[in-house]
Amino acid sequence: MSGRLLASNKVAIVGYGQSQVERHSDKTLGALAVETARACIADAGLRPEQIDGYVSSSLLPSAGSHAAVDGVNFVTANWLAEHMGGHATYATGFQGLGQIPGIVSMAVNAVSSGAADYVLVQRALNNPTRGSYHANAMTEISGSQQWTAPQGFFGPLAMIALSYNEYLQRYGATREAMAAVLVEARKNGSRIPWSYWHDQPLTAEEYLASPLIVDPICRFDCDIPVDGVASFLFTSAERARDLPNPPVYVSGFALSAPSTWRLPLHWPLDDIMEVGADVARRLYESAAISADDVDLPQVYDGFSPFIYYWLESLGFVGRGEAHQLALDGGLDSDQPGALPALSGGGALGNGRMHGIPQMLECYLQLAQRAGPRQRAQASIGLACHSSPHLGGAVVYSATPY
Amino acid sequence: MTSTARPLPVPDEQSAPFWEAAARHELVLARCGRCELLVHPPDVVCPHCGSTDPQFRFTPVSGEGIVRSWTIVRQSFLPGFEVPFTLVDVELDDQDELRLIGRLLDPPDGALPLGTAVRVAFEDLTEEISVPAFVIKASA
Repeated sequence: MSGRLLASNKVAIVGYGQSQVERHSDKTLGALAVETARACIADAGLRPEQIDGYVSSSLLPSAGSHAAVDGVNFVTANWLAEHMGGHATYATGFQGLGQIPGIVSMAVNAVSSGAADYVLVQRALNNPTRGSYHANAMTEISGSQQWTAPQGFFGPLAMIALSYNEYLQRYGATREAMAAVLVEARKNGSRIPWSYWHDQPLTAEEYLASPLIVDPICRFDCDIPVDGVASFLFTSAERARDLPNPPVYVSGFALSAPSTWRLPLHWPLDDIMEVGADVARRLYESAAISADDVDLPQVYDGFSPFIYYWLESLGFVGRGEAHQLALDGGLDSDQPGALPALSGGGALGNGRMHGIPQMLECYLQLAQRAGPRQRAQASIGLACHSSPHLGGAVVYSATPY
Repeated sequence: MTSTARPLPVPDEQSAPFWEAAARHELVLARCGRCELLVHPPDVVCPHCGSTDPQFRFTPVSGEGIVRSWTIVRQSFLPGFEVPFTLVDVELDDQDELRLIGRLLDPPDGALPLGTAVRVAFEDLTEEISVPAFVIKASA
Protein backbone atom coordinates (compact mmCIF):
# COMPACT_ATOMS: atom_id res chain seq x y z
CA MET A 1 0.00 0.00 0.00
CA SER A 2 1.11 3.56 -0.48
CA GLY A 3 -0.48 6.92 0.09
CA ARG A 4 -2.23 8.38 3.11
CA LEU A 5 -3.79 5.96 5.57
CA LEU A 6 -7.57 6.18 5.21
CA ALA A 7 -7.90 5.95 8.98
CA SER A 8 -5.20 8.58 9.59
CA ASN A 9 -6.01 10.53 12.79
CA LYS A 10 -9.41 8.82 13.10
CA VAL A 11 -8.35 6.43 15.89
CA ALA A 12 -6.77 7.55 19.16
CA ILE A 13 -5.11 6.22 22.28
CA VAL A 14 -7.17 7.31 25.28
CA GLY A 15 -5.46 5.60 28.19
CA TYR A 16 -2.63 3.34 29.25
CA GLY A 17 -1.42 0.93 31.88
CA GLN A 18 2.19 0.08 32.62
CA SER A 19 3.32 -2.42 35.24
CA GLN A 20 6.58 -2.22 37.09
CA VAL A 21 9.34 -3.65 34.93
CA GLU A 22 11.13 -6.20 37.08
CA ARG A 23 13.66 -8.96 36.63
CA HIS A 24 11.11 -11.36 38.09
CA SER A 25 7.67 -10.26 39.21
CA ASP A 26 6.18 -11.99 42.22
CA LYS A 27 2.99 -12.33 40.16
CA THR A 28 2.28 -14.78 37.36
CA LEU A 29 2.39 -12.97 34.02
CA GLY A 30 -1.32 -13.50 33.38
CA ALA A 31 -2.21 -11.90 36.72
CA LEU A 32 0.03 -8.94 35.90
CA ALA A 33 -1.64 -8.73 32.48
CA VAL A 34 -5.15 -8.59 33.97
CA GLU A 35 -4.12 -5.99 36.56
CA THR A 36 -2.46 -3.82 33.90
CA ALA A 37 -5.46 -4.12 31.59
CA ARG A 38 -7.82 -3.10 34.40
CA ALA A 39 -5.59 -0.12 35.24
CA CYS A 40 -5.55 0.90 31.59
CA ILE A 41 -9.33 0.72 31.26
CA ALA A 42 -9.79 2.77 34.44
CA ASP A 43 -7.21 5.29 33.23
CA ALA A 44 -9.28 5.76 30.07
CA GLY A 45 -12.40 6.41 32.16
CA LEU A 46 -14.05 3.19 30.98
CA ARG A 47 -15.42 -0.02 32.53
CA PRO A 48 -14.24 -3.54 31.60
CA GLU A 49 -17.64 -4.48 30.16
CA GLN A 50 -17.29 -1.68 27.60
CA ILE A 51 -14.14 -3.21 26.10
CA ASP A 52 -15.19 -5.25 23.10
CA GLY A 53 -11.81 -5.75 21.47
CA TYR A 54 -8.49 -7.26 22.61
CA VAL A 55 -5.35 -7.34 20.50
CA SER A 56 -1.98 -8.68 21.55
CA SER A 57 1.21 -10.18 20.28
CA SER A 58 2.43 -13.03 22.39
CA LEU A 59 5.84 -14.13 21.13
CA LEU A 60 8.25 -15.28 23.85
CA PRO A 61 11.43 -13.90 22.28
CA SER A 62 13.84 -16.47 23.65
CA ALA A 63 16.01 -19.03 21.91
CA GLY A 64 16.14 -21.06 25.12
CA SER A 65 14.36 -24.34 25.81
CA HIS A 66 11.29 -23.07 27.65
CA ALA A 67 7.84 -24.65 27.49
CA ALA A 68 5.48 -21.84 26.44
CA VAL A 69 2.28 -21.70 28.50
CA ASP A 70 -0.47 -19.14 27.77
CA GLY A 71 -1.09 -16.95 30.82
CA VAL A 72 2.23 -17.96 32.39
CA ASN A 73 5.10 -16.92 30.12
CA PHE A 74 3.08 -15.33 27.34
CA VAL A 75 -0.45 -13.92 27.10
CA THR A 76 -2.65 -14.15 24.01
CA ALA A 77 -5.52 -11.78 23.29
CA ASN A 78 -7.93 -14.67 23.65
CA TRP A 79 -6.57 -15.58 27.09
CA LEU A 80 -6.81 -11.97 28.19
CA ALA A 81 -10.33 -11.47 26.80
CA GLU A 82 -11.51 -14.58 28.62
CA HIS A 83 -9.95 -13.46 31.90
CA MET A 84 -11.31 -9.93 31.60
CA GLY A 85 -14.88 -11.13 31.89
CA GLY A 86 -15.72 -12.44 28.47
CA HIS A 87 -17.30 -9.26 27.08
CA ALA A 88 -15.12 -9.12 23.98
CA THR A 89 -16.52 -9.75 20.53
CA TYR A 90 -13.15 -9.29 18.84
CA ALA A 91 -9.91 -10.85 20.09
CA THR A 92 -6.94 -11.46 17.86
CA GLY A 93 -3.17 -11.55 17.79
CA PHE A 94 -0.29 -10.38 15.65
CA GLN A 95 2.16 -12.96 14.39
CA GLY A 96 5.74 -12.21 13.53
CA LEU A 97 8.19 -9.47 14.40
CA GLY A 98 7.50 -5.76 14.72
CA GLN A 99 4.84 -6.74 17.22
CA ILE A 100 4.04 -3.28 18.55
CA PRO A 101 3.37 -1.56 15.19
CA GLY A 102 1.63 -4.81 14.28
CA ILE A 103 -0.84 -4.70 17.16
CA VAL A 104 -1.36 -0.95 16.78
CA SER A 105 -2.26 -1.45 13.12
CA MET A 106 -4.72 -4.20 14.06
CA ALA A 107 -6.36 -2.01 16.71
CA VAL A 108 -6.66 0.90 14.26
CA ASN A 109 -8.15 -1.40 11.65
CA ALA A 110 -10.62 -2.86 14.14
CA VAL A 111 -11.82 0.53 15.38
CA SER A 112 -11.93 2.26 12.00
CA SER A 113 -13.77 -0.64 10.36
CA GLY A 114 -16.31 -0.78 13.18
CA ALA A 115 -15.32 -4.30 14.24
CA ALA A 116 -14.89 -3.01 17.80
CA ASP A 117 -15.53 0.27 19.63
CA TYR A 118 -12.93 0.04 22.41
CA VAL A 119 -9.84 -2.04 21.78
CA LEU A 120 -7.31 -2.87 24.47
CA VAL A 121 -3.84 -3.49 23.05
CA GLN A 122 -1.45 -5.38 25.26
CA ARG A 123 2.10 -6.69 25.32
CA ALA A 124 3.16 -8.94 28.19
CA LEU A 125 6.77 -10.06 28.44
CA ASN A 126 8.21 -12.71 30.69
CA ASN A 127 11.70 -13.55 31.84
CA PRO A 128 11.61 -17.32 32.42
CA THR A 129 12.61 -18.10 35.98
CA ARG A 130 14.51 -21.26 35.20
CA GLY A 131 17.54 -21.61 32.96
CA SER A 132 19.43 -19.15 30.82
CA TYR A 133 17.29 -16.92 28.61
CA HIS A 134 18.80 -17.96 25.28
CA ALA A 135 20.90 -21.06 26.11
CA ASN A 136 19.56 -24.26 24.63
CA ALA A 137 20.76 -27.76 25.46
CA MET A 138 19.48 -29.22 22.21
CA THR A 139 21.44 -32.20 20.91
CA GLU A 140 19.65 -32.52 17.58
CA ILE A 141 18.59 -29.80 15.19
CA SER A 142 15.82 -30.33 12.70
CA GLY A 143 13.90 -27.92 10.50
CA SER A 144 15.27 -24.62 9.25
CA GLN A 145 17.90 -24.27 11.99
CA GLN A 146 19.78 -27.29 10.64
CA TRP A 147 21.27 -24.90 8.06
CA THR A 148 22.88 -22.67 10.71
CA ALA A 149 22.95 -24.00 14.28
CA PRO A 150 25.20 -27.05 13.72
CA GLN A 151 27.69 -24.53 12.30
CA GLY A 152 27.55 -22.52 15.54
CA PHE A 153 25.34 -19.70 14.26
CA PHE A 154 22.57 -19.58 16.84
CA GLY A 155 20.58 -17.02 18.77
CA PRO A 156 19.94 -13.31 18.39
CA LEU A 157 23.33 -12.07 19.61
CA ALA A 158 25.16 -13.67 16.68
CA MET A 159 22.36 -12.38 14.44
CA ILE A 160 22.89 -8.74 15.40
CA ALA A 161 26.68 -9.09 15.70
CA LEU A 162 27.10 -9.84 11.99
CA SER A 163 25.26 -6.74 10.79
CA TYR A 164 26.81 -4.52 13.47
CA ASN A 165 30.34 -5.62 12.64
CA GLU A 166 29.58 -4.96 8.97
CA TYR A 167 28.49 -1.45 10.01
CA LEU A 168 31.60 -0.85 12.15
CA GLN A 169 33.97 -2.04 9.44
CA ARG A 170 32.23 -0.20 6.61
CA TYR A 171 31.82 3.17 8.31
CA GLY A 172 34.72 3.15 10.77
CA ALA A 173 32.38 3.38 13.74
CA THR A 174 33.74 2.87 17.24
CA ARG A 175 32.54 1.45 20.53
CA GLU A 176 33.03 4.94 21.99
CA ALA A 177 30.12 6.15 19.86
CA MET A 178 27.92 3.32 21.12
CA ALA A 179 28.99 4.12 24.67
CA ALA A 180 27.42 7.56 24.19
CA VAL A 181 24.21 5.85 22.99
CA LEU A 182 24.06 3.59 26.05
CA VAL A 183 24.76 6.46 28.44
CA GLU A 184 21.84 8.36 26.90
CA ALA A 185 19.42 5.40 27.00
CA ARG A 186 20.25 4.55 30.61
CA LYS A 187 20.18 8.21 31.69
CA ASN A 188 16.62 8.49 30.44
CA GLY A 189 15.62 5.09 31.78
CA SER A 190 17.00 6.02 35.18
CA ARG A 191 14.41 8.83 35.38
CA ILE A 192 11.45 6.52 34.80
CA PRO A 193 9.86 5.17 37.99
CA TRP A 194 8.65 1.84 36.51
CA SER A 195 11.91 1.11 34.65
CA TYR A 196 14.06 -1.82 35.69
CA TRP A 197 16.98 0.63 35.44
CA HIS A 198 15.33 3.35 37.57
CA ASP A 199 18.04 5.35 39.35
CA GLN A 200 20.73 3.25 37.64
CA PRO A 201 22.48 5.29 34.95
CA LEU A 202 25.49 3.85 33.11
CA THR A 203 28.84 5.51 32.45
CA ALA A 204 30.79 5.29 29.22
CA GLU A 205 33.63 3.72 31.19
CA GLU A 206 31.35 0.94 32.43
CA TYR A 207 30.18 0.29 28.89
CA LEU A 208 33.69 0.19 27.45
CA ALA A 209 34.93 -2.10 30.24
CA SER A 210 32.21 -4.67 29.62
CA PRO A 211 33.63 -7.81 27.98
CA LEU A 212 32.40 -8.72 24.52
CA ILE A 213 30.09 -11.74 24.32
CA VAL A 214 29.67 -12.05 20.55
CA ASP A 215 31.93 -9.41 18.99
CA PRO A 216 31.23 -6.49 18.85
CA ILE A 217 28.25 -7.02 21.18
CA CYS A 218 28.60 -6.76 24.96
CA ARG A 219 25.80 -7.27 27.46
CA PHE A 220 24.94 -3.57 27.63
CA ASP A 221 24.12 -3.64 23.90
CA CYS A 222 21.27 -6.04 24.74
CA ASP A 223 18.09 -5.14 26.61
CA ILE A 224 17.72 -7.08 29.83
CA PRO A 225 14.99 -9.77 30.01
CA VAL A 226 12.22 -8.74 32.37
CA ASP A 227 8.68 -9.35 33.50
CA GLY A 228 6.49 -6.47 32.44
CA VAL A 229 3.13 -5.63 30.87
CA ALA A 230 1.81 -2.55 29.10
CA SER A 231 -1.69 -1.83 27.80
CA PHE A 232 -3.17 0.92 25.68
CA LEU A 233 -6.82 1.71 25.02
CA PHE A 234 -7.83 2.63 21.46
CA THR A 235 -11.11 4.10 20.29
CA SER A 236 -12.43 6.39 17.60
CA ALA A 237 -11.56 10.09 17.58
CA GLU A 238 -15.29 10.83 18.07
CA ARG A 239 -15.63 8.67 21.19
CA ALA A 240 -12.31 9.96 22.48
CA ARG A 241 -13.81 13.45 22.87
CA ASP A 242 -16.01 12.21 25.71
CA LEU A 243 -13.16 10.62 27.67
CA PRO A 244 -10.97 12.26 30.32
CA ASN A 245 -7.47 12.13 28.76
CA PRO A 246 -6.22 14.16 25.79
CA PRO A 247 -6.37 11.77 22.81
CA VAL A 248 -3.21 10.86 20.93
CA TYR A 249 -4.02 10.12 17.32
CA VAL A 250 -2.55 7.39 15.12
CA SER A 251 -1.54 9.24 11.97
CA GLY A 252 0.04 6.41 10.02
CA PHE A 253 1.99 3.19 10.16
CA ALA A 254 4.13 0.91 8.04
CA LEU A 255 5.21 -2.69 8.49
CA SER A 256 8.06 -4.47 6.78
CA ALA A 257 9.12 -7.87 5.56
CA PRO A 258 12.51 -8.99 4.26
CA SER A 259 12.88 -8.78 0.50
CA THR A 260 15.58 -11.42 0.20
CA TRP A 261 15.33 -15.06 1.23
CA ARG A 262 17.97 -15.76 3.85
CA LEU A 263 19.19 -18.33 6.32
CA PRO A 264 17.41 -18.24 9.71
CA LEU A 265 18.47 -15.15 11.71
CA HIS A 266 20.68 -13.92 8.87
CA TRP A 267 20.09 -10.15 8.73
CA PRO A 268 22.75 -8.60 6.49
CA LEU A 269 23.16 -4.84 6.84
CA ASP A 270 22.16 -4.11 3.25
CA ASP A 271 18.90 -6.06 3.64
CA ILE A 272 18.07 -4.07 6.77
CA MET A 273 18.79 -0.71 5.16
CA GLU A 274 17.21 -1.32 1.77
CA VAL A 275 13.91 -2.48 3.20
CA GLY A 276 14.20 0.15 5.92
CA ALA A 277 14.28 2.94 3.34
CA ASP A 278 11.08 1.59 1.80
CA VAL A 279 9.39 1.32 5.20
CA ALA A 280 10.28 4.93 5.95
CA ARG A 281 8.89 6.10 2.61
CA ARG A 282 5.60 4.25 3.17
CA LEU A 283 5.41 5.44 6.79
CA TYR A 284 5.74 9.12 5.83
CA GLU A 285 3.22 8.68 3.02
CA SER A 286 0.82 6.94 5.38
CA ALA A 287 0.94 9.88 7.79
CA ALA A 288 1.46 12.53 5.09
CA ILE A 289 4.52 13.94 6.87
CA SER A 290 8.28 14.04 6.41
CA ALA A 291 11.13 13.38 8.81
CA ASP A 292 11.39 17.13 9.48
CA ASP A 293 7.90 17.14 11.00
CA VAL A 294 8.80 14.59 13.69
CA ASP A 295 9.80 16.21 16.98
CA LEU A 296 9.72 13.00 19.03
CA PRO A 297 11.38 10.14 17.13
CA GLN A 298 11.62 7.02 19.30
CA VAL A 299 13.86 4.48 17.66
CA TYR A 300 13.90 0.82 18.61
CA ASP A 301 16.86 -0.46 20.57
CA GLY A 302 16.36 -4.06 21.71
CA PHE A 303 19.90 -4.37 20.43
CA SER A 304 21.79 -1.08 20.35
CA PRO A 305 22.78 -1.19 16.63
CA PHE A 306 19.10 -0.93 15.69
CA ILE A 307 19.32 2.70 16.83
CA TYR A 308 21.76 3.48 14.01
CA TYR A 309 19.78 1.45 11.49
CA TRP A 310 16.49 3.22 12.29
CA LEU A 311 17.97 6.74 12.46
CA GLU A 312 19.46 6.23 9.02
CA SER A 313 16.47 4.39 7.51
CA LEU A 314 14.12 7.13 8.66
CA GLY A 315 16.33 9.84 7.16
CA PHE A 316 17.27 11.65 10.38
CA VAL A 317 20.90 11.24 9.27
CA GLY A 318 22.58 9.89 6.15
CA ARG A 319 23.71 6.28 5.69
CA GLY A 320 26.68 5.51 7.90
CA GLU A 321 26.39 8.78 9.86
CA ALA A 322 24.40 7.81 12.95
CA HIS A 323 27.45 6.75 14.92
CA GLN A 324 29.03 10.18 14.38
CA LEU A 325 25.82 11.89 15.49
CA ALA A 326 25.94 9.85 18.71
CA LEU A 327 29.61 10.58 19.28
CA ASP A 328 28.99 14.31 18.82
CA GLY A 329 26.25 14.34 21.47
CA GLY A 330 23.49 14.65 18.87
CA LEU A 331 21.24 12.19 20.71
CA ASP A 332 21.36 14.00 24.07
CA SER A 333 17.67 14.63 24.67
CA ASP A 334 18.48 17.28 27.31
CA GLN A 335 20.16 19.50 24.72
CA PRO A 336 18.08 21.86 22.56
CA GLY A 337 18.51 20.99 18.93
CA ALA A 338 19.56 17.40 19.58
CA LEU A 339 17.45 14.48 18.39
CA PRO A 340 15.54 13.12 21.42
CA ALA A 341 15.47 9.62 19.91
CA LEU A 342 15.99 7.84 23.23
CA SER A 343 14.10 10.23 25.52
CA GLY A 344 11.85 7.40 26.71
CA GLY A 345 14.84 5.25 27.61
CA GLY A 346 13.93 2.59 25.09
CA ALA A 347 14.35 -1.08 25.81
CA LEU A 348 17.99 -0.54 26.82
CA GLY A 349 16.87 1.92 29.50
CA ASN A 350 13.70 0.13 30.65
CA GLY A 351 14.16 -3.60 30.07
CA ARG A 352 13.00 -5.99 27.34
CA MET A 353 9.55 -4.50 26.77
CA HIS A 354 9.92 -4.71 22.99
CA GLY A 355 8.63 -1.52 21.33
CA ILE A 356 6.55 -0.50 24.34
CA PRO A 357 8.92 2.18 25.74
CA GLN A 358 8.95 3.91 22.35
CA MET A 359 5.15 3.82 22.07
CA LEU A 360 4.60 4.84 25.69
CA GLU A 361 6.97 7.80 25.38
CA CYS A 362 5.06 9.01 22.32
CA TYR A 363 1.77 8.62 24.18
CA LEU A 364 2.87 10.27 27.44
CA GLN A 365 4.63 13.21 25.79
CA LEU A 366 1.94 13.90 23.17
CA ALA A 367 -0.85 13.61 25.77
CA GLN A 368 1.12 16.00 28.05
CA ARG A 369 1.16 13.27 30.69
CA ALA A 370 4.93 12.78 31.11
CA GLY A 371 5.05 14.57 34.47
CA PRO A 372 8.48 15.92 35.41
CA ARG A 373 9.86 14.49 32.16
CA GLN A 374 7.38 16.45 30.01
CA ARG A 375 9.05 17.99 26.96
CA ALA A 376 8.13 21.46 25.77
CA GLN A 377 7.97 20.35 22.16
CA ALA A 378 6.07 17.13 21.45
CA SER A 379 3.55 17.26 18.63
CA ILE A 380 4.46 14.45 16.21
CA GLY A 381 5.91 11.23 17.59
CA LEU A 382 7.32 8.23 15.76
CA ALA A 383 7.69 4.85 17.48
CA CYS A 384 9.68 2.00 15.92
CA HIS A 385 9.96 -1.65 16.73
CA SER A 386 12.27 -4.50 15.72
CA SER A 387 14.57 -4.20 12.72
CA PRO A 388 13.78 -1.79 9.87
CA HIS A 389 13.53 -4.77 7.51
CA LEU A 390 11.46 -6.97 9.79
CA GLY A 391 9.41 -4.65 11.94
CA GLY A 392 7.63 -1.38 11.56
CA ALA A 393 6.85 2.05 12.90
CA VAL A 394 3.86 4.19 13.85
CA VAL A 395 3.39 7.96 13.62
CA TYR A 396 1.39 9.62 16.42
CA SER A 397 0.02 13.15 16.59
CA ALA A 398 -1.20 15.31 19.46
CA THR A 399 -3.75 16.92 17.14
CA PRO A 400 -5.69 15.56 14.17
CA TYR A 401 -4.50 17.19 10.97
CA MET B 1 39.50 -34.11 18.09
CA THR B 2 35.92 -33.28 17.27
CA SER B 3 33.30 -33.32 19.92
CA THR B 4 30.14 -35.34 19.53
CA ALA B 5 28.55 -33.15 22.18
CA ARG B 6 27.83 -30.52 19.52
CA PRO B 7 24.22 -30.66 18.38
CA LEU B 8 23.77 -32.63 15.19
CA PRO B 9 21.59 -31.78 12.20
CA VAL B 10 18.68 -34.12 11.56
CA PRO B 11 18.50 -34.60 7.78
CA ASP B 12 14.99 -34.61 6.38
CA GLU B 13 13.52 -35.45 3.00
CA GLN B 14 14.60 -32.11 1.56
CA SER B 15 18.00 -31.72 3.22
CA ALA B 16 19.25 -35.31 3.02
CA PRO B 17 21.29 -34.82 -0.20
CA PHE B 18 23.04 -31.80 1.36
CA TRP B 19 24.14 -33.74 4.42
CA GLU B 20 25.06 -36.87 2.40
CA ALA B 21 27.36 -34.74 0.24
CA ALA B 22 28.78 -32.93 3.27
CA ALA B 23 29.74 -36.30 4.74
CA ARG B 24 31.83 -36.79 1.56
CA HIS B 25 33.26 -33.28 2.09
CA GLU B 26 31.42 -31.95 -0.90
CA LEU B 27 29.30 -28.79 -0.86
CA VAL B 28 26.07 -29.13 -2.84
CA LEU B 29 23.25 -26.59 -2.87
CA ALA B 30 19.65 -26.67 -4.04
CA ARG B 31 19.09 -25.54 -7.61
CA CYS B 32 15.57 -24.72 -8.77
CA GLY B 33 14.47 -27.05 -11.54
CA ARG B 34 12.41 -24.22 -13.09
CA CYS B 35 14.72 -21.18 -13.13
CA GLU B 36 18.03 -22.99 -12.53
CA LEU B 37 19.09 -20.52 -9.80
CA LEU B 38 20.60 -21.66 -6.52
CA VAL B 39 18.48 -21.30 -3.38
CA HIS B 40 19.90 -21.62 0.12
CA PRO B 41 18.28 -22.82 2.18
CA PRO B 42 15.73 -24.56 -0.06
CA ASP B 43 12.26 -23.18 0.52
CA VAL B 44 8.70 -24.26 -0.23
CA VAL B 45 8.43 -21.71 -3.03
CA CYS B 46 11.39 -20.72 -5.19
CA PRO B 47 12.31 -17.19 -4.04
CA HIS B 48 13.67 -16.35 -7.49
CA CYS B 49 10.95 -17.50 -9.92
CA GLY B 50 8.05 -18.13 -7.56
CA SER B 51 7.56 -21.74 -8.59
CA THR B 52 5.49 -23.72 -6.10
CA ASP B 53 6.99 -26.89 -7.53
CA PRO B 54 10.68 -25.96 -7.70
CA GLN B 55 11.89 -29.57 -8.02
CA PHE B 56 15.16 -28.68 -6.31
CA ARG B 57 18.16 -30.81 -7.14
CA PHE B 58 21.39 -30.50 -5.20
CA THR B 59 24.30 -29.56 -7.41
CA PRO B 60 28.00 -29.06 -6.55
CA VAL B 61 29.19 -25.47 -6.06
CA SER B 62 32.68 -24.02 -5.90
CA GLY B 63 32.61 -23.48 -2.15
CA GLU B 64 34.71 -20.37 -2.72
CA GLY B 65 33.64 -16.89 -1.75
CA ILE B 66 34.34 -13.76 0.22
CA VAL B 67 33.73 -12.71 3.82
CA ARG B 68 30.86 -10.22 4.00
CA SER B 69 30.94 -10.04 7.80
CA TRP B 70 32.25 -11.97 10.78
CA THR B 71 31.96 -12.26 14.54
CA ILE B 72 33.80 -13.95 17.37
CA VAL B 73 31.56 -16.00 19.63
CA ARG B 74 32.88 -15.86 23.19
CA GLN B 75 29.83 -17.32 24.91
CA SER B 76 28.06 -20.16 23.15
CA PHE B 77 24.35 -20.65 23.68
CA LEU B 78 24.61 -24.21 22.36
CA PRO B 79 26.46 -27.12 23.99
CA GLY B 80 29.68 -28.58 22.68
CA PHE B 81 31.30 -25.50 21.17
CA GLU B 82 34.66 -24.46 22.51
CA VAL B 83 34.91 -20.69 22.74
CA PRO B 84 36.06 -18.42 21.36
CA PHE B 85 35.34 -19.28 17.73
CA THR B 86 34.91 -17.17 14.63
CA LEU B 87 31.83 -17.19 12.42
CA VAL B 88 31.92 -15.84 8.89
CA ASP B 89 29.07 -14.66 6.67
CA VAL B 90 30.23 -15.73 3.22
CA GLU B 91 28.96 -14.76 -0.21
CA LEU B 92 29.80 -17.62 -2.56
CA ASP B 93 31.30 -16.84 -5.95
CA ASP B 94 28.70 -19.05 -7.66
CA GLN B 95 25.83 -16.56 -7.57
CA ASP B 96 25.13 -13.01 -6.37
CA GLU B 97 23.95 -12.88 -2.75
CA LEU B 98 24.30 -16.63 -2.27
CA ARG B 99 25.26 -16.59 1.40
CA LEU B 100 26.38 -19.27 3.85
CA ILE B 101 27.34 -18.86 7.50
CA GLY B 102 29.90 -21.13 9.09
CA ARG B 103 32.91 -21.27 11.36
CA LEU B 104 36.23 -19.93 10.14
CA LEU B 105 38.60 -22.69 11.16
CA ASP B 106 41.84 -20.70 10.77
CA PRO B 107 41.06 -17.17 11.98
CA PRO B 108 43.97 -14.73 11.66
CA ASP B 109 45.60 -13.29 14.78
CA GLY B 110 45.06 -9.79 13.45
CA ALA B 111 42.33 -8.13 11.46
CA LEU B 112 39.97 -10.02 9.20
CA PRO B 113 39.07 -7.52 6.46
CA LEU B 114 35.67 -7.73 4.82
CA GLY B 115 36.18 -9.19 1.36
CA THR B 116 38.76 -11.78 2.49
CA ALA B 117 38.63 -14.80 0.17
CA VAL B 118 37.69 -18.11 1.80
CA ARG B 119 36.82 -21.63 0.72
CA VAL B 120 34.68 -24.33 2.25
CA ALA B 121 36.13 -26.92 4.64
CA PHE B 122 34.38 -29.56 6.69
CA GLU B 123 34.23 -30.46 10.35
CA ASP B 124 33.61 -34.16 11.02
CA LEU B 125 31.23 -34.36 13.97
CA THR B 126 30.47 -38.10 13.71
CA GLU B 127 31.05 -40.93 11.21
CA GLU B 128 27.94 -39.80 9.31
CA ILE B 129 27.80 -36.06 9.91
CA SER B 130 30.18 -33.41 8.64
CA VAL B 131 29.37 -29.72 8.85
CA PRO B 132 30.49 -27.14 6.28
CA ALA B 133 32.86 -24.47 7.57
CA PHE B 134 35.45 -22.20 5.95
CA VAL B 135 39.19 -21.60 5.79
CA ILE B 136 41.06 -18.61 4.38
CA LYS B 137 41.93 -19.16 0.75
CA ALA B 138 45.68 -19.06 0.21
CA SER B 139 46.58 -15.90 -1.66
CA ALA B 140 49.06 -17.78 -3.90
